[in-house]
Amino acid sequence: MTLKGGTSQACAACKYQRRRCSSECPLKPYFPPDQPKMFQNAHKLFGVCNILKILKNLDADQKTEAMRSIIHQANIRDQYPVHGCMGVIKKLRDQIWLAEEELHAVLLQLDMYRQHYHQQISSSLPDDVVPSQLELGMAPPNNALSLFNHAPHQQPYNAAAAAAALPIAQHHSYSNNSYSSTYIDSKDNLSNSMWVQYPYATNNNNNSMAIQSQLVSGIQQEVVHDYDELHPFFDTIDDRQSYIDSKEAYESRYTLFNIFNIPKSYIHDSTTTIYMDNMLVVHNSVEFSINSVISICSSEESLKDTTQSMEHVAENELKSAAACFSLTSVN
Amino acid sequence: MSSSSYSNSPCAACKFLRRKCLPDCIFAPYFPPEEPQKFANVHKIFGASNVSKLLNEVLPHQREDAVNSLAYEAEARMKDPVYGCVGAISVLQRQVIKLQRELDATNADLIRYACSEMPPTSTSHQYGSRRTGGQGGEGSSVDQNSGYYFPSHWNNDGHE
Repeated sequence: MTLKGGTSQACAACKYQRRRCSSECPLKPYFPPDQPKMFQNAHKLFGVCNILKILKNLDADQKTEAMRSIIHQANIRDQYPVHGCMGVIKKLRDQIWLAEEELHAVLLQLDMYRQHYHQQISSSLPDDVVPSQLELGMAPPNNALSLFNHAPHQQPYNAAAAAAALPIAQHHSYSNNSYSSTYIDSKDNLSNSMWVQYPYATNNNNNSMAIQSQLVSGIQQEVVHDYDELHPFFDTIDDRQSYIDSKEAYESRYTLFNIFNIPKSYIHDSTTTIYMDNMLVVHNSVEFSINSVISICSSEESLKDTTQSMEHVAENELKSAAACFSLTSVN
Repeated sequence: MSSSSYSNSPCAACKFLRRKCLPDCIFAPYFPPEEPQKFANVHKIFGASNVSKLLNEVLPHQREDAVNSLAYEAEARMKDPVYGCVGAISVLQRQVIKLQRELDATNADLIRYACSEMPPTSTSHQYGSRRTGGQGGEGSSVDQNSGYYFPSHWNNDGHE
C-alpha cells in the first residue's frame, strides 16, 4: 500500500500478478487496488487471459459494461460455487411466479370487493350483505380450504394469514424506493399492517415468537439484500455486498417447514410451497425485526377493539382470497 | 454416467485438449464425448484449468450441477459477450420490480375497499399481465425473458 514515489498505485490485477502496472494496463480501470477480492474472484472464474479475450472485440463503453458483468458474475460464483448465476436466475423466476400468482389472487379479491361495493350502492342494503360476500366470490369457495389443508394450522384465520400476509411484503420491500408512499398513504399503511399481521399473530400465537426469532436469524439475511442488491448492482458495484443467498434461501425454507411441522414432502406441493414462500417473503422483505412482532403480539388486545369491524370483513374476504389462491395454484 | 466411455472414447474435454482420458479424469463424468460443444464453450470462456479447479472445490455430488451452471454461463457469454447471463438476471429483476409495483398499487386499492372508503377509479390493472398458463414455475412471461442474452437496453430503461 505504501508508495515510494507517490506514483499511481498498481491495480489489483497487476498487484496480484506481481507485475508492473503501466498506464496502458487494460484492467486498471476495472480493478482498483483497494478491492483485491474483486479481482481474485474474476481471476478465479475467468482468468486474466480470458477476460482480455472477451474485452478484445468490444467498444470502449461496452468494455465497461462487460467488465461489470464479468465482475458481478464472478462474485456470484464466489458466493455460490455450485449454482452460480443459474441459481440466482432460478430464484428470480420463482419469485416472479409467486408474484404473478399473488397478483392474480389480489386482483380477484379486488374484483370481488368492487362487485360487492356496486351491489351495495345499487341495492343500498345495510350490513346484512356482508355474509353474502363469499357467494360474490364465485366458485373458489369450494376449494377454499383445500389449499390450507396442507397448511400447518387449520384455523379459520389461516386463509387470512396466507392471503393477507402477502400484500404487506411489497410495501416494506420497496420502502427504499419510496413506492409505497406513492401508492398508499400512511394511514393505509398502518391499517394494512394491522390487518395483515393481526391474523397471523393470532394464528401462531404460541409459536410466533419462535418463528420470528428463527426468521430474523435465519432468513432476514436472505432477502433483505434482495432488492438492494438486485437493482443497483450496475450502478454501484459493491462486490463484497452479499448477493442472493440461494443456499440459505433453501435452507431457510426448510427451516420454516420445520417450524410449522410440515413434512418436506410437501415442498413439491405447489400450494404449500406458495404458502411457505409467501411467509418467507413477508418476513424477509418487511425487514421484520423481532420488535415489530413483539409489538403486534402485545397490542393484540387493542387491535381486537380497534380493528373489529375490519376483522369482520377481513375474515370473510380473506377466505375468499384463499379460495382464489387455491384455485390459481392447484392446476 | 460415462465410466464405460473411458474404454470407448475419451471425454469431450480430453478430446478437445488432445490428451489421454484417464479413469480419474475429472471432466469425464460431466463432459461426455457426444457433447463436444459444451466443453468447448466452457473452455473458451473459463478455461479448462479454472473449471477443473472449481470442480475440485465442490463436493462430488455437486459437480454435475456446477458443470451445468458453468456451461449455461459460458453459453450465455458466448451469445452476449457484454452481459452474459447477468443480462438475464437484470431482466428478471426488472420484472420482479414491475410486478411488485403492480402488486403495491393493487393492494392499495384493496385496502381502500376493505376500509370501506370510496373506491378508487384509477385501478386499471389488467389480468393480462399475469401469466395464463397454470403449471409449474414456467410462466410464459418468465419464459419470454428466460433466454440467455438481453442486451444493452437494460440501462436505458432507467429507474422508473
